[in-house]
Amino acid sequence: MQTNLADFIKDTPDGREADAILRTCVHCGFCTATCPTYQLLGDELDGPRGRIYLIKQMLEGKPVTEKTQLHLDRCLTCRSCETTCPSGVKYHRLLDIGRKVLNERVPRPLAQRLVRTALKEALPRPWIFRPAVAAGQLVRPLLPQVLSDKVPTSAPGQSRGWPEKSNHPRRMLVLAGCVQPGLAPNTNAATARLLDRIGITLFEAPEAGCCGALRFHLDAQEQALDDMRRNIDAWWPHVEQGVEAIVMTASGCGAHVKEYGLLLKDDPAYAAKAERIAALTLDISEVLAAEAEKLKPLLVTRQHPPLKLAFHSPCTLQHGQKIKGVVEELLQAAGVELTPVPDPHLCCGSAGTYSILQPALSKQLRDNKLAALNSGAPAAIVTANIGCQTHLQAGSAKPVRHWVEIIEERL
Amino acid sequence: MAFANDVRFPVDRREILGRLQAILPRHLVLAEEEELRPYECDGLTAYRALPLIVVLPETETQVGAILKACHELKVPLVPRGAATGLSGGAMPHEDGVVLSLARFKKILKIDPLSRTAVVQPGVRNLAVSEAAAPYGLYYAPDPSSQIACTIGGNVAENSGGVHCLKYGLTVHNVLKVRGFTINGEAVEFGAEALDAAGLDLLAIINGSEGLLAVITEVTVKLTPKPELAQVVLAYFDDVQKAGNAVADVIAAGIIPGGLEMMDKPATHAVEPYVKAGYDLDAEAVLLCESDGTPVEVAEEIERMKAVLEKSGATSLVVSQNEAERLRFWAGRKAAFPAVGRITPDYLCMDGTIPRKRLAEMLEAIADLSVKYGLRCANVFHAGDGNLHPLIMYDANQPGELERATAFGSEILELSVKLGGTITGEHGVGVEKVDLMAAQFTPAEISAFHRLKAAFDEKGLLNPGKGIPTLARCREYTQTRGAAAVTPPPRF
Amino acid sequence: MDAQLKEWIARVHDAAEAGKALCIRGGGSKDFYGAVPVGELLDTTGYRGIVSYEPTELVVTVRAGTPLAELEAALKEKGQCLPFEPPHFGAGATVGGMVAAGLSGPRRAAVGAVRDYVLGVKLIDGKGGLLAFGGQVMKNVAGYDVPRLMAGSLGTLGLLTEISLKVLPLPMAGMTLRFAMTETEALKKLNEWGGKPLPIAASAWCDGALTVRLAGAFAAVRAAREALGGEEVADAGAFWQSLREQTHPFFAGDSPLWRVAVASVSPPLAQPGSTFVEWGGAQRWLRGELDAGQLRAIAAQCGGHATLFRADAESKARVGVFQPLSPVLARLHRNLKQAFDPAGVFNRGRMYPDY
Ligand SMILES: Cc1cc2nc3c(=O)[nH]c(=O)nc-3n(C[C@H](O)[C@H](O)[C@H](O)COP(=O)(O)OP(=O)(O)OC[C@H]3O[C@@H](n4cnc5c(N)ncnc54)[C@H](O)[C@@H]3O)c2cc1C
Ligand code: SF4
Ligand code: SF4
Repeated sequence: MQTNLADFIKDTPDGREADAILRTCVHCGFCTATCPTYQLLGDELDGPRGRIYLIKQMLEGKPVTEKTQLHLDRCLTCRSCETTCPSGVKYHRLLDIGRKVLNERVPRPLAQRLVRTALKEALPRPWIFRPAVAAGQLVRPLLPQVLSDKVPTSAPGQSRGWPEKSNHPRRMLVLAGCVQPGLAPNTNAATARLLDRIGITLFEAPEAGCCGALRFHLDAQEQALDDMRRNIDAWWPHVEQGVEAIVMTASGCGAHVKEYGLLLKDDPAYAAKAERIAALTLDISEVLAAEAEKLKPLLVTRQHPPLKLAFHSPCTLQHGQKIKGVVEELLQAAGVELTPVPDPHLCCGSAGTYSILQPALSKQLRDNKLAALNSGAPAAIVTANIGCQTHLQAGSAKPVRHWVEIIEERL
Repeated sequence: MAFANDVRFPVDRREILGRLQAILPRHLVLAEEEELRPYECDGLTAYRALPLIVVLPETETQVGAILKACHELKVPLVPRGAATGLSGGAMPHEDGVVLSLARFKKILKIDPLSRTAVVQPGVRNLAVSEAAAPYGLYYAPDPSSQIACTIGGNVAENSGGVHCLKYGLTVHNVLKVRGFTINGEAVEFGAEALDAAGLDLLAIINGSEGLLAVITEVTVKLTPKPELAQVVLAYFDDVQKAGNAVADVIAAGIIPGGLEMMDKPATHAVEPYVKAGYDLDAEAVLLCESDGTPVEVAEEIERMKAVLEKSGATSLVVSQNEAERLRFWAGRKAAFPAVGRITPDYLCMDGTIPRKRLAEMLEAIADLSVKYGLRCANVFHAGDGNLHPLIMYDANQPGELERATAFGSEILELSVKLGGTITGEHGVGVEKVDLMAAQFTPAEISAFHRLKAAFDEKGLLNPGKGIPTLARCREYTQTRGAAAVTPPPRF
Repeated sequence: MDAQLKEWIARVHDAAEAGKALCIRGGGSKDFYGAVPVGELLDTTGYRGIVSYEPTELVVTVRAGTPLAELEAALKEKGQCLPFEPPHFGAGATVGGMVAAGLSGPRRAAVGAVRDYVLGVKLIDGKGGLLAFGGQVMKNVAGYDVPRLMAGSLGTLGLLTEISLKVLPLPMAGMTLRFAMTETEALKKLNEWGGKPLPIAASAWCDGALTVRLAGAFAAVRAAREALGGEEVADAGAFWQSLREQTHPFFAGDSPLWRVAVASVSPPLAQPGSTFVEWGGAQRWLRGELDAGQLRAIAAQCGGHATLFRADAESKARVGVFQPLSPVLARLHRNLKQAFDPAGVFNRGRMYPDY
């Protein structure tokens, strides 16, 4: 597409990157077909191609208002458009740049700012968030619907805890994450037990925290970069000691950590380290797929009752990390029957804090997704990201779990 | 490139805006430049125009009322589906309203027994086949853009697909169209029966490029899925040999389910996206499909292989399962946008010529590529003789678009000279409106105008598209010279 | 320009000027069809011959006055055909008449109608303009699809002079099967089979017997024969020919013949007299003095229309040959007539009285 970026950005790193991305877009419109918001709203401005155009106008120096903001806010950053795009347009990078510029140009009204600040301060901090969940359960009836949906109805799933002592020569780090320890502590514990069985010791670096994705998508890209640097500092000593991988059990975090190298490329102190961290980062499904030889024999040692599950592949897994069919294969190897799910490429509406910031669209997407997931009458739903898990659970009578728990139970 | 529409209307923006806002809720009427810009073009970004207003109705009543308002106030109106069009058909009119049908996306009925589907115009082509799949049926016309393009747009363009040689174009697969005339009256063309009383107006609604009526409901035929389909990839070390092989296949009495071609630049562009495993050293690949019962397919594939081998194919690969077959096709279907990986911009030509002239045309394109200093990838609906040379250029380089356009015009003029047409399936739109003069006499152009007036006397539906004004024809003939525009002897 | 064309153009000019009507006629084999022809005869049979035929292009271009039989013989020689099996209804049928009448034969439901095979036409419009639309290639969307509009227009929009048609290879194998069943059963079966990938080329039900023709590759026909059962009919060619040309006993006699086009799934039409079902249920022939209003209402309910196909002039005039149009469509028809033939020269009233 023809571009003519304005002077304010043309010769900056962001400007150059945005220009290159814009120019790969040939305006074919394929991406609109798989964009959840375009499918719901039918407005060019609520689809990737229109958003690209809105960003292009802004970067070309045209006036922008809250109208552009509205349509960019509605974007889930699910990256379904990227999977579809034959031309290889890196939409989410353009969006990041666009949102950054937009934020400087179009101030948000106070009420919006407050919610965003609250979210970006509270969610990334487990020590605030965990008690808040407990407190939330007590005051749940008093909360507005949107927020109360976010708070699980019962105490977080019981965890059988981490393996007593695991001391294998093969060691991998795992990110604790910010909200997962509060809401689904068994996910990492189950992962640790599972890896222990195949001869890998998993451990957390206590100083590591939120991966940075939350703030990155809440108009706080600078703060997010600090989150990322802190994690790099926390992991680096272990990297030097030769950890094999940094394992992600939340695909949302995984997608973000895998981009550390890109996001910190202009920070001379961190660029190289970030690159290395990103290269070491693996989703748990990638780790297990690589160990399939060892895993599979363990999975057939015991008889299990038949189990029908529906798998929801988070956008951050299938579109962000482009991991497709891997989890499904592992579950099937564990004797699970997967029910067919129509439109598997569509987002469930969780999308980080989207469910809080765009409640109406988010709910519509969740309803559609749950209908699709339940269409094959599964006993439960499994997914690969804490955000999707809690979001879907809030609307589902059936349990929604991390798939790795199922595998671990079947060993 | 701003398109100088020579059909203009004195419009009172506030008046029409007021009328439209009374018909639709606020969020379905866009009127600020910031929101209108992204609507300024379709899949052909070289031509752009800013509309006055965009409306996004969701009911037929609203469509009727919008048309009435525009008709009364003499405001031009451009229907728009998914805007994947490649001829600027959905490009707005600067004095007018864009009527988006994107919110009409309900599949109203799938009837497996009568093998029909009733759908709203904003339903995506592929969504129809997906909805019909549980019944072993599908909607046969499959434009490469089928993931995104709408049925309304397909009817308006009479779109083809990669399986059209055997299964027909849109016009062959649509039974009935419900729509609205410019004065806001509902009207039905065709019938659930195989024909309707009176003139075959359905035939002219197909391919009418939004100039005759606004389509609000379409009844399509569904086709039973063949038991088996397999595709042969035939590689050639020479593009012209591949071109000749196409004619050889047909000459052997075979009507393949699909017969498509890509040249080396095209396979190089798509391979990183689809990872189909195309042989990247070959100069061209033909995709030749057979479908039917397993025995039938096995027999036909053998015949195809024999012909292709004789025509000089250097190697043949047959798809071994459905997933692989789909992957082979996915590359072909994503070819245009995938070319976006190797060039910032392209123009996609759409001439159709007699199959036996394919090799000749390919040679001419290669020469023109040198003449204009622009690269060109070739993707063909070879079985139909429908060419899609993709002329690569960089819109940011001054002069390149103009060169690309001239390159394209020469290809299309040659198509006419070789006994073909300037457009096989993408429509005339704004892009080829001048080139109509290369194919039709002024008397024929006038006949088209009269036909248009029979539906839309004031010329409000998609003005300036499809059929050139006679002034444009004269100008074209003068600038291009008679040689370029004289069709082969006709009478 | 050919002398014949020049002469015709002059005649059209004169007629337009004098306000006279011309009656275009090829072999006259379809004189019975539509309202009774009026106007001065314009005979097309002198303008004949195949202009070009390239089997590998699957396209043939012929002059309008060419006998249909001549064209079909030429195609057959190259192993090709007009798949829609147009009826001749007489020895002299011409290709122009075939297109103008727009009638298709037994294979229509499987392969499409005349209009689906028309690629290009040349015509003389009502002002004497010689115009060419469409062309000789499979796909062509430059300008409105006037060639297809001409199919079935009964010569009301212009004098066709030359026509390009898509042709296809003859099917490699064929077989005819017969089943004893009621009309209701036959309709059900036909629609069910229609949803399967079976090579059913044609079907006919009458008098408690459903006859089905298979056509295609040997393997496909063999497999379908296994799947469908029924009794094989030897020498079925004559049977299908008798449908195509309406020489089957069902069509004998003078009582009015109605053609009712409906959605294939429509139930039996519950009319007095006998019925003949074709096109997988989508074309129903009825014999007898039927109540036109009632029949047309039923046809409309079933998604189609009823044509008084063969009847005496008086009946045709009284009830009209073709199903009346909605007001909007009627207006569009008048406007189109105005666009192509403003002086009303061609085949006046042949389709609708006001047009
Ligand atoms: C990558 C790519 C590949 C393509 N491949 C093919 C191909 O293989 N075959 C092919 O034929 N085309 C192809 N196309 C072209 C395009 O996709 C088709 O023309 C398609 O039918 C357009 O549909 P749309 O919904 O995008 O219509 P739009 O582009 O929105 O509109 C097209 C035209 O239809 C009119 N229109 C749209 N909706 C209506 C309505 N409801 N009522 C009245 N008029 C209406 C518009 O005014 C316009 O003139 C391709 C395009 C792309 C980008
Ligand atoms: S699919 Fe890619 S190239 Fe096409 S419009 Fe979307 S982003 Fe642009
Ligand atoms: S990221 Fe998701 S919501 Fe955003 S434009 Fe792409 S597909 Fe649409």
